[in-house]
Amino acid sequence: MSFSVPQFIIPDLILLALPFLVIGCRLVIRNSKLPWRLACIGLIAVFVLLNLLPLVGGSGNYFISNWRVDDFGILMREVLTLSALLGLLLAKDYFDHGADGKPQMNQIAEFAGTVAFATFGGYIVVSACDLLTFFLGLEMATIPMYILTAWNKKDQMGSEAATKYILMGSVATAFELFGFSYLYGFAGSIHFDAIQNAAAAGTSPLLWIAVLFLFCGIGFKLTLFPFYTWAPDVYEGAPSPVTALLAVTSKATAIAFLVVLVFGPLAPVQEQIAPLIAILAGVTLFVGNLGALKQSRLRRFMAYSSIAQAGYIMVALLGPAEMSKTAIIYYLFLYTVANYLAFFVFGVIGHRREESFDALRGLSKQNVSLAVALAVAMFSLAGIPPLAGFFGKFHLFFSGASTGHYALVVFAVLNNVLALYYYLQVIKSAWADEPEGELTTLRMTKRQKLCIFLLTVGVIFMGILPHLSDNIFAGFSL
Amino acid sequence: MTLMNCLILSFILFGIGLWGLMRRRHLVGMLISTEIMLNAANMNFIAFAYFSAKDATAGSVFSIFVIAVTACEMAVALAIIVSMYRRRKSLDVEQLRDLHD
Repeated sequence: MSFSVPQFIIPDLILLALPFLVIGCRLVIRNSKLPWRLACIGLIAVFVLLNLLPLVGGSGNYFISNWRVDDFGILMREVLTLSALLGLLLAKDYFDHGADGKPQMNQIAEFAGTVAFATFGGYIVVSACDLLTFFLGLEMATIPMYILTAWNKKDQMGSEAATKYILMGSVATAFELFGFSYLYGFAGSIHFDAIQNAAAAGTSPLLWIAVLFLFCGIGFKLTLFPFYTWAPDVYEGAPSPVTALLAVTSKATAIAFLVVLVFGPLAPVQEQIAPLIAILAGVTLFVGNLGALKQSRLRRFMAYSSIAQAGYIMVALLGPAEMSKTAIIYYLFLYTVANYLAFFVFGVIGHRREESFDALRGLSKQNVSLAVALAVAMFSLAGIPPLAGFFGKFHLFFSGASTGHYALVVFAVLNNVLALYYYLQVIKSAWADEPEGELTTLRMTKRQKLCIFLLTVGVIFMGILPHLSDNIFAGFSL
Repeated sequence: MTLMNCLILSFILFGIGLWGLMRRRHLVGMLISTEIMLNAANMNFIAFAYFSAKDATAGSVFSIFVIAVTACEMAVALAIIVSMYRRRKSLDVEQLRDLHD
């Protein structure tokens, strides 16, 4: 008997081994930078290997019949890996010194390992072929997030945020599980193919109850209306790098969950559940935009902004499978890059100050390149051409409009004007407002300078040249 | 014992859990309520596996996995609650008011 490891599974295996290596390395070698470096190198290696994988089209490759690696899965893996890598780079400074008026964090090796576990949870979600694997993946992506939120043990806000998060999260898990159990009862099997066949053969009340419970459950994780209320508290209380991870990794996993579900087992009834998705998307982006208008703390502001972004991404779910998946992947890449750019700038500012709008005042006079980077991030999130965010939103709305949901698309575009207002407020604080009193000096490490430069270039170039990488953007011809 | 009886029972259990979650102001009480909700889902799986499903093994195995995953989740939840108790000396959710609009 010979075991040959197919090449499409190698990145997954490396990522699975990574946390054990990193934490094990910390046990052997104390007080060194090695574990963190190892984690970064490992994630870069995984990202490069994923980029080298050819896109196969169709239903993808199977490993032991139950682990599917398709094109959506590969691209989604790239988003998750990129997010984990940027999250680690961002987090390093919070372990070197305190920030945002909080004491510094400890145990970076375990932090890196936990992030890698959460990322692997996302991998499982996009590879699952049955409900059990799907459920385990979602839990593996969520449970590390609870731990990360409470990472700063000296900070009271962190443990309060984590308590709220885990209470809400376990309720969401219960709802999802209830939905899964009805889905199992409806189809008599936990395999996606069997469920899809059963749904195509005919619907029953069981299926609709299942869909309702599943959307309630994922609504918590994706911060959809009316289950978004925990998000601002948790985003504000968590350490900044964890907030960035929550906004990107956890959201990307939840979106992937919905995409796999809506275009997998529930594909035959997509048309019937479209009104539900449309209402959730519309209300969510409106509520997110309204909430963001009156915020004065940056992380709370980013929380509402990410609620609104979840609403925009939901719009694309209404379209046909290929177009929708492409638009969502493309937008998630842009969202990752722009969001992390903003958080890197906040990290530099938050070193000696509170992370609030007031701390941004006078930034353009003090450090013009930082102010430019912030403006690029905010314009991209708002969707101003020629930056990347515009094309991303265009594809999302195009996907929604292609199945005739014009009313929702018009509503979303109008909301974008509202969003522009509050993103401009951030830029106004940085460029127009005069500082009060003496400003503390801003210190940047080489790593921060490099990351901010690369991310700024990334946001600008992804807008101008949307076909930069064949692998990432081959999605357009999926 | 019919399928319908089991489904109604687990639905009632789910409702009790949800109600407890909203009424209870003590963190451990709230965790127990979520546990009841998760076990209601487990009952559903087992009922479907016993009465109707073509693939009966899957449902039973699913509920075992759920028990394991829930144990992990509760371990993390209790760790977080302990770390919070050390700072605040209270387990009343009404006092979680530092983070708000």
